[in-house]
Amino acid sequence: MLNLNPETIKKFRRFRQIKRGYYSFLLLIFLVFLFLIGELLVNNRALIVKYEGSLYFPTYTAFHPGTDFGLPYSYETNYRELKERFAEQGGDNWVLLPLVPYSANENHSTTGIFRPEPPSAQYKHYLGTDTTSRDILARLFYGTRTALFFAIAFTFAVYSIGIAIGASMGFFGGMFDLLFQRVIEIWSNVPFLYMVIIIFSVIPATFSILTRIGILLTVMVLFSWTSMTYYMRTETYKQKSRDYVASARIIGASNTRIIFKHILPNVLATLVTFMPFTVIAAITAITALDFLGFGLPPPTPSLGELLKQGTSNLRTAPWIVTSAFGTLVVLLTLVTFIGEAIRESFDPKKFTVYK
Amino acid sequence: MIKLLGTGFTGVLLAVLLVACGGGAGEQDTRDNTQEVLDYYAAYPDFFRFRTLADLPADLAWENGMDLPDLGSPLAVKGGTQYGSVQDFPRTLRFVGPDSNGSFRPWILDDVTLGLAGLHPDVDGEVYPQLAREWAIDSESGTVYARLDPAARWSTGEPVTVDDYLFMFFFYQSEHIVAPWYNNYYGINITYSDITKYDDHTLSFTLNDNRPDLRDRVLALRPVPQHFFRAMGEDFVERYQWSFVPTTGPYVIRDQDVQRGRSITLTRLEDWWAKDNKYFRNRYNVDRVVLNVIRDSNNVFEAFKRGDIDQFALNLAEHWYEKLPDNDPDVANGYIHKSVFYNDRPRPTFGLWINTARPLLDNREVRLGINYATNWDLVISNFFRGDFSRMNTSSDGYGEFSHPTLRARPYDIDRALAHFANAGFTTRGRDGILVNDQGQRLAFTLSTGYEALRDILTILREEAARAGIEFRIEVLDATAGWHKVQEKQHDIFFSAFGVGVEMFPRFWETYHSVNAYDQAFLPDGSVNPDRQIQVQSNNLESLASLEFDRMIEQYDRSGDREEMIELAHRMTQYHHEYASFVPGYVQDFYRMGHWRWLRYPEFFNHRQSGAATELHVHWLDTDLKEETMAARRAGRAFEPQVRVFDQFRVH
Repeated sequence: MLNLNPETIKKFRRFRQIKRGYYSFLLLIFLVFLFLIGELLVNNRALIVKYEGSLYFPTYTAFHPGTDFGLPYSYETNYRELKERFAEQGGDNWVLLPLVPYSANENHSTTGIFRPEPPSAQYKHYLGTDTTSRDILARLFYGTRTALFFAIAFTFAVYSIGIAIGASMGFFGGMFDLLFQRVIEIWSNVPFLYMVIIIFSVIPATFSILTRIGILLTVMVLFSWTSMTYYMRTETYKQKSRDYVASARIIGASNTRIIFKHILPNVLATLVTFMPFTVIAAITAITALDFLGFGLPPPTPSLGELLKQGTSNLRTAPWIVTSAFGTLVVLLTLVTFIGEAIRESFDPKKFTVYK
Repeated sequence: MIKLLGTGFTGVLLAVLLVACGGGAGEQDTRDNTQEVLDYYAAYPDFFRFRTLADLPADLAWENGMDLPDLGSPLAVKGGTQYGSVQDFPRTLRFVGPDSNGSFRPWILDDVTLGLAGLHPDVDGEVYPQLAREWAIDSESGTVYARLDPAARWSTGEPVTVDDYLFMFFFYQSEHIVAPWYNNYYGINITYSDITKYDDHTLSFTLNDNRPDLRDRVLALRPVPQHFFRAMGEDFVERYQWSFVPTTGPYVIRDQDVQRGRSITLTRLEDWWAKDNKYFRNRYNVDRVVLNVIRDSNNVFEAFKRGDIDQFALNLAEHWYEKLPDNDPDVANGYIHKSVFYNDRPRPTFGLWINTARPLLDNREVRLGINYATNWDLVISNFFRGDFSRMNTSSDGYGEFSHPTLRARPYDIDRALAHFANAGFTTRGRDGILVNDQGQRLAFTLSTGYEALRDILTILREEAARAGIEFRIEVLDATAGWHKVQEKQHDIFFSAFGVGVEMFPRFWETYHSVNAYDQAFLPDGSVNPDRQIQVQSNNLESLASLEFDRMIEQYDRSGDREEMIELAHRMTQYHHEYASFVPGYVQDFYRMGHWRWLRYPEFFNHRQSGAATELHVHWLDTDLKEETMAARRAGRAFEPQVRVFDQFRVH
């Protein structure tokens, strides 16, 4: 485990003092937690079913055909109907549904016509439904979850590659540095959005959604790691010529040890401040791609797809665009607040005057 | 500095390229195939026949179709610029060859050029004159005689003569056009046994298969301008990619009106040769038709709502009921008129086309299961709000030729599961999708080129999942989607073929094995193991069956109406049993929203019109446009107009 030095602990304390950023951070952590247990909150599968004396927990298990609960069909049980049925029968059987009893993909119309329906607490469509009567809250929830987790994975991958290559460039210098600089210059001039569009137009739709997300992630990482290397390289260059690195070398420390134990902790400040903005860039990118129709295939819920539906039904169903847009604003604001707080707490000068 | 150098270099490169192109084109322009064409005619003297007027049979009963009701409204006035949109810029201005069979073709061929005579859209079985002044049928020998209108002109000013019809065969038989369907249909002695020229304006065609619709088919033939294709050669496809072919019709596309990727404009010929003709004088009224590329259908609607586009098809319930309801201010104040018109004709074949060349889909049990697992009824009742009805076979709407009793398979989970079980899919996976013993999931890609109809697919997907099958949805743009099916890269495709008004359905194009594989069967009748998929054809199901082939061939040869009806029923039955098509829905009307200044006749349209604009009977009242816009700004209202024209309603 990394042993935190007093300097870092001080930075963390400073971060806690910046309330706006700190509370945003807590809120985001809470959101991530909610997303992790998302299936328990927003789902058309029941949390608990008590049927004929035994308890069922369908959320994370394989699907239960209707026949399991005495219904006459072999496909997935409709737990909302099951609940009503049990209530009518008045026996010992009962169903506990999640807060939002809808999945992101099912068409649930209250009128028998698939059309956008305004928010209603009575039907538990708290944010209304979209053009084919799918629950917006459910779609928003799972869409945001994908975007956020995607962004976190993206940031992690970009940083790993960026740090590794940037640090080696700065540390080893010479031909290696020269060569990689040219490679990066060329590589970073490939237009990323077009590449994604081109690659996605040739990927067969037969791949599962998870694979497609994986490919999208890989492609985006492939074209985004370059910017990180610049900062790493210069920082490493700077630290490398410091006396403490020279002393470590004289003691006989290996390159690996010098990079990871001595240099990296000292350049971390720069990297950490960039992190929230990388997250934002990733969320924006995946939303934009979905909006343009090059992201995830239908019917995967996504912020971009909801935004697109919202803009095309601006007049007739304003609740679609407001919920999608609102979510995006909140999410990006939270991350930005955190980012600002981090930057400030890692700033060696406690009081900064902008001119 | 680096930047500057770069620009300079590009400039030099461009200049070199331009010079290269210029040189090439100059050399080719001198090409003249007149002699080549004559030699070709001479090589097939029995097909291309040259006779004199004296050889014309004397006892022919000439008809001219001049006593039919007029088309369009006498109130129509000429003039104005109509604004419309296209989803995709056309890939070519050729009307034949690769990429030509797209959604733009009606603007350069189907709706705006002339054959010898056309089916009257109100009177069953009657034809009205177009390029021909009169015609005569010899049903004994299967020959149709016609006399061209001497006034008929190409848009270049050249007269339309019999030579253009002779050339039509040369043209369509040429391999250079890269269009196998045309090569085959117009081939020597395939459909036609001869074309005979009597003089510059008199000709006859004899068909091999003397069928009930002999007259309609021959009279629908459109000439090909010989003077324009003089330089035709191996480079046909590239050479004529962006050149507008001279037309016999009223609209031309001038070079300066083609803005690649952005907009294309049609211009009416002021001195069109047929402008005073009885059947054309009230049609083709608009001076210019500007078609801008607007990719997103919602943006098209918004443009229409702004008045930037004159009319918009409101066929989708979403548009008719939600986005432009009767109480919308523009409708309630009478600025935009809404019209429903019930037409009476064969319908586009909306449905799922299953590619039987794909693994698993070659299994009939799987296909039957898919038929039962597709919930069109829900789509029709909940998505289309019950306005549409279910299609039963792919050849509905042909009267006696349509199968009288066959019904599309309903959504039935139990039967779907039973059929999937027969195919080895017995257990459901964790997510409820069926798997077989080898661990294969029952999952297929369901693609479409209809961006506006993507919601239908998501509904079908949810319903199909209950029956244990997964549809992976792929929504492509129109051009990419069409390309995909033409290359036969699809599993299941949601699409429709536009169907012309014809006496009886066609089967060869969509179901004959020559359109599925290069050589589907070995001479002994067994399946050829090395057969290759036939691309660029309309057999989207890759359906290849010797039995079906034999029925199609017999049907295509038959001249006996009763026999053809019987065969059509048998083939429809066979196709139904084969289960490679899931019939979708039929729409027995079309709905339009149009601004007040875009006028339609008092009866709105003709009975067999497939779309409001097809016959070009509408016109623009430019004064009304100004008046309407001024009234809209001032908040002045007119009488609202939401009209239903059900005079031809059948269902």
